[in-house]
Amino acid sequence: MQSVNWLDLLSQVLQQLPITLLMIVTSLIFALILGFILAIVRIRKIKILTPIVRLYLSFIRSTPLLLQLFLVYFALPQLLLLVHIDINHFSRLFFVILAFTLHTGAYLSEIIRAGYQSVDYRQIEAGLSIGLSYPRILKEIVIPQALRNSIPNLTTQIIELVKDTSLAFTIGIIDMMGQVKLIIGNNYGLGMLEVYIVISIVYWAIALIIQGTLALIDKRSQKPYRI
Amino acid sequence: MTFILYTITEVLKGVPNTILISIVAIMVGLCIGLIFAIIRLKRIPMLSQIIIVYNSFFRSTPLIVQLFIVYYGLPTFIIYLNKQLNWHINPDIFSPLIIAFIVFSLHAIAYLSESIKGGLQSVDADQIEAAQSVGLTKYHIYKEIVLPQAFAYALPNIENQFIMLIKGTSLAFAVQVTEIMAVSHVIANEGYRFITVYSVAAAFYWLLAIGLEYIFSKMEKHTTRYLETNAI
Repeated sequence: MQSVNWLDLLSQVLQQLPITLLMIVTSLIFALILGFILAIVRIRKIKILTPIVRLYLSFIRSTPLLLQLFLVYFALPQLLLLVHIDINHFSRLFFVILAFTLHTGAYLSEIIRAGYQSVDYRQIEAGLSIGLSYPRILKEIVIPQALRNSIPNLTTQIIELVKDTSLAFTIGIIDMMGQVKLIIGNNYGLGMLEVYIVISIVYWAIALIIQGTLALIDKRSQKPYRI
Repeated sequence: MTFILYTITEVLKGVPNTILISIVAIMVGLCIGLIFAIIRLKRIPMLSQIIIVYNSFFRSTPLIVQLFIVYYGLPTFIIYLNKQLNWHINPDIFSPLIIAFIVFSLHAIAYLSESIKGGLQSVDADQIEAAQSVGLTKYHIYKEIVLPQAFAYALPNIENQFIMLIKGTSLAFAVQVTEIMAVSHVIANEGYRFITVYSVAAAFYWLLAIGLEYIFSKMEKHTTRYLETNAI
């Protein structure tokens, strides 16, 4: 049996790390924006919109991401073509990021809502009683505490997103998983196990780094408030 | 219209595999997950650390990568065993469905052991002391007091994992199992009817999740009766 060049495999997989990171970061930013909007609709109980948002959340949470990705990549352009909008020429990256944003945004909105609710309502009342405006209460009192309280959930969700990006190869994106498929193709199917072991270690490392960083942030943000 | 009916009957053929994989995984996950949770809570040296690493790996690598590792790794491992021990097992002895059972179970164990651990931890330690003071054996304390309550606490989490597993089965196409997603991908590509086929598939997953939620809400009513002590 020939020996496997692990370092060579690792460097080949890492070549496509930037694409994976790009997908993670852009989707995360858009998902945060979407999550905030969805959370506000549910917190303020805006009429008509609330039931729609709840239906949307239920859909996203009970269908597989792979299906959502296919719906966005294959079905959405067909649907838009019916109203004469042609998005077929858009890059694949656009569809992937759209799908991940719609998916992660739904989950983040629940986390943001839980964070908001974790702040005692009496604090908002106290703020109002000393004459602070609602936006100011949000900015000075609610958001700092809500953010701190939601760090653990946020960590889980970001790691979930990292793992989700491994599905992008199914519509032809050459990220780390896509690169693995290419390596296997080039080697005529030899050494498949080794490549997958390498990529699992890369994903594991990314998850551990994210976990460590957020744990550090969590620890530092709790410090001034510890009794 | 006929195409929609055709799609529904075709996709329906994938439903048994989807349900089968997730049920096998949840059963194995609950049994071994409970053992793992107890080992972690008892802080048994060595085993406890191994389980921490195991859980970390299965929770932070993508399921599809895990599927591929076992799919390609199992035959290699069997060939290695054959060489070392002079056995003569066929490396391709495991069917795709069995491989899916194995991977989804391994995956479920990691997640469920954490849920069960959380459930066990939320049972008040005072109750165990109280049970010891009236002379109950360890077996009875677990069977009559700790486990029913821990199960009730962990139930919402278990439901979540169950739905995650059903969604996860959509990746079983990677090891050539024909479940809902694999079937619909084939039909959709035949006639470029992506909207119809994928909507039907989405409806099936959604229905499965709603059905599961209904079953668990019934179960929850049954199990949480242990927790309603302040009603007396």
